[in-house]
Amino acid sequence: MARKALLITPDLCIGCRGCQVACKSWNDLPAEKTKNNGTHENPPDLTGYTYNRIRFIEKVNEKGEVQWLFVSHRCLHCGEPACVEICPVKALKKDAETGIVYYDKNQCIGCQACQAACPFNIPRYDKNGKISKCHFCIDRVKAGLSPACVKTCPTGAIKYGNREEIIKEAKAEGYSVLYGETELGGLGVVYALKASPKEYNLAENPKKPENLIAMGQMLRTLIEKGVALSPSVLKDIGLIKG
Amino acid sequence: MGGISRRNFLKLSLGSLVLSSISIDLTPVKSYAATELKIRNAKESTSVCPYCSVGCSLIVYAKGGKVVQVEGDPDSPINQGALCPKGASLLQMANNPYRVMEPLYRAPGATEWKKVSWEWALSEIAKRVKATRDKYFILKDEKGRVVNRVEAIAHVGSAALDNEECYLLQKLMRALGLVYIEHQARI
Repeated sequence: MARKALLITPDLCIGCRGCQVACKSWNDLPAEKTKNNGTHENPPDLTGYTYNRIRFIEKVNEKGEVQWLFVSHRCLHCGEPACVEICPVKALKKDAETGIVYYDKNQCIGCQACQAACPFNIPRYDKNGKISKCHFCIDRVKAGLSPACVKTCPTGAIKYGNREEIIKEAKAEGYSVLYGETELGGLGVVYALKASPKEYNLAENPKKPENLIAMGQMLRTLIEKGVALSPSVLKDIGLIKG
Repeated sequence: MGGISRRNFLKLSLGSLVLSSISIDLTPVKSYAATELKIRNAKESTSVCPYCSVGCSLIVYAKGGKVVQVEGDPDSPINQGALCPKGASLLQMANNPYRVMEPLYRAPGATEWKKVSWEWALSEIAKRVKATRDKYFILKDEKGRVVNRVEAIAHVGSAALDNEECYLLQKLMRALGLVYIEHQARI
């Protein structure tokens, strides 16, 4: 199996959010209370029970026209995932074949170091404090199926395939900006754009934390010494701010 | 499987035959977020999405009589495997504590719904439709022209009806003499 990727084309997205619902259906995730924030964007953020969502971005362009951009918000499955590097108990893993960043809740100790390390602030935690995020439907992918969000997408705004091939296809279709082609070792979720990533509220030049390796070593040492890592311990050592 | 002799192959097949007949799952537990493909060995049935008139095709996956997943049917020329958010949420239509499983009846003036049988409900509907139709059937208008119509009953269709259902309903309603045949999409 070659490295897999999702190709997201916001220009094709109609904001129907079938992907959000299909994700909930496949992963048996419950509905959550939400509130009206004055836009159609819903739910307002990723949670331990919402692995993907569509951001609704309203912008006025140079011609004075209102633009409504729909951008998928989820784990981007970095080629060099900071979360996997920092996880002191190896609960987060990168699949060697497909490049998918997945996790084992049974191994997770809920220290939340992954969220602190993630350049995109993606990991969330379920009610037991265990890591929860998009796992690229690795169970489906390994069984030869496409991820649930891809399968349900009525417009082809989310495509799935071998990473090299879908990047080539997107280039052939004339998308000048491929966000994620090279960022952080190449993302497993690539955005095909016709304008700068900034226009789509995507982080420009995302970077792993500078002290990542040192922090990871420190966390592992603490565990070896029998320290029970938790979000409050990580706050004390300055890894989690606030 | 390259190094397996015919004898061993037979032994293996026999072994797995015995194992499969006592249905023990021998797949190793994986450490993925979801440990096993939830539609593995599920019974697949095809269906049609009940929501809008597009009528997207579905595959319903069931295990032990319980629906575990609903997805678009990739073989369908209508939706080619895709589903909108309403269609994608169909799992919770099947598995829902609020789902009404039997016909309910609230008598005129009553405040509570009570469970009734399908047989009673359907024959009661038929009886009342016939009574109203017979009572208000108009044979001729004021100028003596034959009209054969009923103005006391109206029918409202919904966008969830497909072509064939609309055809059947139209036939039935026209046969009863209805003239007020409307559609929710026109409102």
